Amino acid sequence: MAKHIAKRILITIPVLLGLVFLVFFMLNVVPGDPVTVMMREHVKEDLIDRMRQSMHLDDPFIVRYFRYIWDMLHGDLGISWKLNRPVTGLIANAFPYTLKLAVASSLFSWIMGIPVGIISAVKKNSLLDHLSMGISLFGVSMPVFWVALILQNTFKNVLPISGADSWQCYILPTIVLGWSSAGRIARLTRSNLLDVLRSDYIRTARSKGLSPLKVINRHALKNALIPVITVMAIQISSLLSGAAITESVFAMPGVGGLAVEAIKKRDMPLLQGTVIFTAVLIIAGNLLADVLYSVIDPRIRVE
Amino acid sequence: MSNILEIKNLCVSFASDGVKERAMAVSGVSLAVPEGKTVGLVGESGCGKSVTSLSVMGLLSDNGRVESGEALFGGQDLLRLSDREMRRIRGNRISMIFQEPMTSLNPVITVGKQVSEALRLHGGMDAKAAKARTIEIFEKVGIPEAERRFKSYPHQLSGGLRQRVMIGMAMVMRPALLIADEPTTALDVSIEAQILRLMRDLQRDTGTSILLITHNLGVVAEMCDEVYVMYAGEVVERANVTTLFDTCAHPYTRGLMASLPRMTPKGQRLYNIRGTVPNLRAMPSGCRFSPRCEFATEMCRGEKPELNDLGGGHLCRCFYPKDDERPLGGIDR
Ligand SMILES: Nc1ncnc2c1ncn2[C@@H]1O[C@H](COP(=O)(O)OP(=O)(O)OP(=O)(O)O)[C@@H](O)[C@H]1O
Ligand code: SF4
Ligand SMILES: [Mg+2]
Repeated sequence: MAKHIAKRILITIPVLLGLVFLVFFMLNVVPGDPVTVMMREHVKEDLIDRMRQSMHLDDPFIVRYFRYIWDMLHGDLGISWKLNRPVTGLIANAFPYTLKLAVASSLFSWIMGIPVGIISAVKKNSLLDHLSMGISLFGVSMPVFWVALILQNTFKNVLPISGADSWQCYILPTIVLGWSSAGRIARLTRSNLLDVLRSDYIRTARSKGLSPLKVINRHALKNALIPVITVMAIQISSLLSGAAITESVFAMPGVGGLAVEAIKKRDMPLLQGTVIFTAVLIIAGNLLADVLYSVIDPRIRVE
Repeated sequence: MSNILEIKNLCVSFASDGVKERAMAVSGVSLAVPEGKTVGLVGESGCGKSVTSLSVMGLLSDNGRVESGEALFGGQDLLRLSDREMRRIRGNRISMIFQEPMTSLNPVITVGKQVSEALRLHGGMDAKAAKARTIEIFEKVGIPEAERRFKSYPHQLSGGLRQRVMIGMAMVMRPALLIADEPTTALDVSIEAQILRLMRDLQRDTGTSILLITHNLGVVAEMCDEVYVMYAGEVVERANVTTLFDTCAHPYTRGLMASLPRMTPKGQRLYNIRGTVPNLRAMPSGCRFSPRCEFATEMCRGEKPELNDLGGGHLCRCFYPKDDERPLGGIDR
């Protein structure tokens, strides 16, 4: 077990290196000289050259790559061209907002999604089932910005629709983000549980004389929720890395919003930093999902 | 001798998506399991053996429905009991073993816990007592290192051991009736013999009656006192095991017998009953076996034979029961 986890962690190292390489490569071949971005066009040639030198922009790509990795390992993601502040600090300032939103919307999606999925499966084909699956499907398939705008419009007189100054500010973004996750979780829970309820071991459990409630509680749920938990772990990581659209629409100063700003302003170090931060979180989420899976599922545990 | 279970005229139908008419999977089956005896239920795949047993247990899937009939057990009609009343009987007075020991055990719960569950439910034991008793049972059903195996998950056990766990689980409350639905079909022949021996030994200790579902006549010969042969949802022959193997009367049973390897003279091809099982929604009129029967006549195709007593409780649903002049099994067409 410990070995399995250690192995999984080791595997993430090359993945991370490759990922940073990819991001670094992509963002370094796009046109747009940083110095010109920073200073606009009207500066003297030698000043530009001096700037380029101080930023090591003339070094070979591979040298810059390893320098970047080295700095990254020391917590340095470079300086934002536009804001002229360390990227690490910017992300660190933005992250608490994203974290709060991620936690709130994850909780929302679990508390809504899992029970709804269970009830839908148990009351299969009832009105309740059709209704909840309809609402879930809506959450899964509607574009986030559209749902966000609709909610903003509907509740603009009751709830704050931008910023992050009070806890009320989080309500609408939480619903926007949580709805689609909740929908996905509800549908997955329902279909897994229905599959499990058809299986032989459920018939065995019933043949023992267990009540329907105990059959579901003790025998069906654990099997049905194993894949759901994996999805949940991956979802948290993507929520944590910042829901760019939602944060932008609700003007929340989170990591997602930071990334959107960076794109708009061509702020390469900031964009690079947020993208890598995001990717690291997603890798971590997958790792967590994998570890969780092996903790819950005894069939994997032995290997 | 009294019967522990008496099924009378059981009819079971299934609904399926997109078809209005329900399919009759079991049509008027009657059978009795005498106390302390082993009764075999044989027949080709799809003839309704499992459906019969699941109806008795009240475990039919949602689309299945008992249309009529009774299943008398200890003075009660199981088919009329509420779910709550039925739950007190399941796993306690009647228990069941299924064919596939891999899929019949919950993959994420230790086998020990799965067995002790019944003890806690029906025997009112606490976790500790149930564990001790489960380990005892494991030893009894021949699971080596019972104490350690308590904490094993199903995938860590071999097929034979898993089936021993299933048997332990079924026998732990010393049920009056054990329904074993093809308990050895998924196992190797050598393991099969061990499992059958185990079931016989347990039966000797506990006096449990067994309804043994199988399509293997070898298993029947080894285990059963009486046999019911089913074809297309009906009982076509019933006899005690010696009568059946000496003088079976129904052409279908004779076909089954002739397809047993050891009954074929060396060099001769194994007999095969020609044709296939009829569709549940398109049962042949008259005798249901007539499209496949070598001896079918006009009468067979037009009229439905009753289950007649040939004497001594040997029942046969055929207009022309056993006639030794005919070659057993006939020619392979
Ligand atoms: N859940 C179900 N839904 C629809 N039809 C079913 C269902 N279960 C069984 N049947 C039908 O009932 C008939 C009898 O099935 P049953 O499982 O009793 O056969 P069996 O004799 O046990 O065969 P086998 O040897 O393959 O186990 C089959 O034709 C099958 O198609
Ligand atoms: S009644 Fe006729 S068709 Fe049916 S089994 Fe007997 S001989 Fe064959
Ligand atoms: Mg069957």
